Amino acid sequence: MATVPETIPYGEVRRDLWRPLSGASSRYLITLLLLSSVAFWGLCAWGYQLYKGIGVAGIHRPVFWGFYLVNFVFWIGISHAGTLISAILRLTDANWRKPVTRAAEAITVFALMIGGMFPIIHLGRAWLFYWLFPYPNSRLLWPNFRSPLLWDVTAISTYLTGSTIYLFLPLIPDIAQLKEHATGWRRRLYGALSLGWTGSDRQWHALERAMKLMAAIILAVAVSVHTVVAWDFSMSIAPMWHSSIFGPYFVVGAIFSGIAALIIVMAIIRKAMHLEQYLTAHHFKNLAKLLLLMSLLWLYFTVAENLTAWYGNEPKEMIVFGSRVRGGFAPYFWVMVFCNFVVPFVLLGIKRLRTIRTAIIASITVIIGMWLERFLIIIPTLSFGRLPAAWGNYAPSWVEISISIATFAGMGVLYMLFAKLFPIVSVWEFEPHVGPED
Amino acid sequence: MNVFFAGDFLLQKAAVRALADLKANGFTPADITVFSDEPIEFPRNVLYRPSHMSLGVVIGAITFSLLVIGFVYFTQYSYPIVTGGMPIFSFWATGVVFYELTMLGAIVCTFFWFLRESGLPRRGRRLPVPSVEPGIICVRVECTPDQADAARRSLESAGAENVRTIGEAR
Repeated sequence: MATVPETIPYGEVRRDLWRPLSGASSRYLITLLLLSSVAFWGLCAWGYQLYKGIGVAGIHRPVFWGFYLVNFVFWIGISHAGTLISAILRLTDANWRKPVTRAAEAITVFALMIGGMFPIIHLGRAWLFYWLFPYPNSRLLWPNFRSPLLWDVTAISTYLTGSTIYLFLPLIPDIAQLKEHATGWRRRLYGALSLGWTGSDRQWHALERAMKLMAAIILAVAVSVHTVVAWDFSMSIAPMWHSSIFGPYFVVGAIFSGIAALIIVMAIIRKAMHLEQYLTAHHFKNLAKLLLLMSLLWLYFTVAENLTAWYGNEPKEMIVFGSRVRGGFAPYFWVMVFCNFVVPFVLLGIKRLRTIRTAIIASITVIIGMWLERFLIIIPTLSFGRLPAAWGNYAPSWVEISISIATFAGMGVLYMLFAKLFPIVSVWEFEPHVGPED
Repeated sequence: MNVFFAGDFLLQKAAVRALADLKANGFTPADITVFSDEPIEFPRNVLYRPSHMSLGVVIGAITFSLLVIGFVYFTQYSYPIVTGGMPIFSFWATGVVFYELTMLGAIVCTFFWFLRESGLPRRGRRLPVPSVEPGIICVRVECTPDQADAARRSLESAGAENVRTIGEAR
């Protein structure tokens, strides 16, 4: 089976990949309108929270980290889809990556933008977010550089900057080509973004070098970002949080959910943009195998994490552990195990069952399972802290639920707009290859 | 007034021959530019483009790292907090901040080094850029009027499909 459509004439490749950029079907517009409405509803809910105060959210003593922080960890995890996968495939020269990388890199940038919003939403007084930056304010307070929450700020800012550059660099040649064929505002936009790219050998060499360097740097940053997010929890001496494997556990979970998100996005792009020739069954099967591998790794870490807690039998940890596996949170826990392990293992582990459709089904369940995992890490520990007198429950309010749902719609809106402005599959990487062997 | 010739090649071998012939006729890599719609890998020493991007990125990252350490150190010491003699600045506890901002330095340096080496955004002397069809390798040569014949001959003898004058510049 062909991994790359090398047999397709270049003119056809360009026509196919540029076609989605022109015009907008009624189906596209309706979907965009629906998603925008949901996203707008989320903004209204946030506006309501800003007006009324953080009290309208369900977070209260002792559960001060609710849906907002669950979503924060979840979206930062999703962001690992793109850059990490793309960087690994680029560095290993995996030829099948060509149609996949840009779609993946775009997920990273948008997921980071959405994930990075949640700590600001969670602040309540969002307009004071700049207090996180070091400046001499009226109360002579300086940010605490030793706080893991400030580590998040630096880690996510670095990752977002790196991911945006990593997405932008290979876009330049495509944008320069688009400029030659565009008119009006699109021509002006592409003209500004292409920076005057001419396709000279100096530019190609510089681009290739920069992409290799960026791939290596971004790999290190991506791993560190989710490790830092894990340290938000593990640096505190709270039951079931103070764990040395939280860093790698979070990184594995992030790559796991990232691959699932990539498969779903690729399936939607393939169907909506009629890119069946470019996003072939081969790509889905390769990603499905990666998803299966990550599912097994996730299980390994989950067992290691829970087994050591259970065997240690530390009373405070056992309360949280018990609430997860047989208490009030047990339904979520077992649904999580079913979604993250049973479904992918059965659908993707049995070769006969491994198809595009089953990969999509497994990916959807993994996304649900990974969201539940983030929920189960945060909420039970805060509900059953070290002081029994301070135990409490958490129920999300309509504001939190609205904002959470709206972020998925927001992701859809951003992605649809991006796919309308730029080719979602890198065109220049499909060009007729001129090599030394000709 | 310098003259610019552009030769279109279908095959990379022919383009390599042209480059070798041009070099033999006294043209330097600075006089020659190859345009294409995709990156082309030439054999070693055919069109040598030295790059210091990796070194620049390492130096940039180290510089950024030192600046960040200094910034965090002085920011914390400039606030007159009473700590009872306990140290306020902790190198290890702020290690994540140093690491992330060092990487940010490497990322920013990579981007700016890319712009520098690729000459983007285009500025200064605007040289004529030939239009290149997909799959074509276009070799542009800048030469003085005295060298024009030699340049044209090199391109044609190497097997250029088409050799054209694309402009003049001082």
